[in-house]
Amino acid sequence: MKTSKADFDATCNLFINSVNNYFRHLTEVDSKLNVPYLKESEGLVLKDYTGMIGISGNRKGFVYISANREMYEDLIKIFIGIDKPSDEDILDMAGEISNVVAGNVRANLGANFMISVPVVFQGMPSQLKIPDDVSIYVIPIIWNSHEAFVVIGLQ
Amino acid sequence: MRLLIVDDSSIMRRIIEKNLKDYDIEIIGMAADGIEAVDMVKKEKPDVVTLDITMPGMDGLACLDEIMEFHPTAKVMIITALADKLTGLRALDKGARGFLYKPVNADDLAKAFDRLLKRNEDKQSRF
Repeated sequence: MKTSKADFDATCNLFINSVNNYFRHLTEVDSKLNVPYLKESEGLVLKDYTGMIGISGNRKGFVYISANREMYEDLIKIFIGIDKPSDEDILDMAGEISNVVAGNVRANLGANFMISVPVVFQGMPSQLKIPDDVSIYVIPIIWNSHEAFVVIGLQ
Repeated sequence: MRLLIVDDSSIMRRIIEKNLKDYDIEIIGMAADGIEAVDMVKKEKPDVVTLDITMPGMDGLACLDEIMEFHPTAKVMIITALADKLTGLRALDKGARGFLYKPVNADDLAKAFDRLLKRNEDKQSRF
């Protein structure tokens, strides 16, 4: 069943709140929201490192958070005090943010909003295919001078 | 008190480890999925387990069932991003002693462990 425009907007707002809560609670630095937009052209909006979560149950689609290495480095420095994290650490951080942001949305949407374990990748993987029947909403955010994209695709 | 940390995120495992350094807790191991966690519980019999739910392979709720079967006195604290009430209730029903929603900061962990350790002391002082 296709998500209605009202449901889609409401779900996107839940993700925005979840992202804001993540940064505020863990870093005491608020994230700022730039103007969100619907993505209609082909291709994905990506930064260097991405954590993607599949959504099933009462909504179907995906959400991902994509940012450059420097943002993840700053977060890892705050969380565990490492100055030069490995690529593996950066990918792990990308996956964990996506997991927490998506999982927190279940506070409002309930247990039938089912999420996968994160899929993490660097750059643009050639085998990544996004279904044609999803509407894609891009939310650019700024945290600590770093830009990241929260991208939500729902059928 | 001997602790096993279970989370598929290496960063998250290290966050928990770092923030529990001031407690009288020996971290006896870390596991990245439910299957590895059950093996370690059988071998090490930890007093406390912090347990994520969304993990590849065996998830945290299935892992909790196994832990309760093989080591029912283990105090399991769920630390998960799944913020719906039903998941929390299911975990408590299966035997979890505590529940924390990610994102967790140092204060959240400290309060949760203070409660868990206080309950342990109270229980011991009754005997």
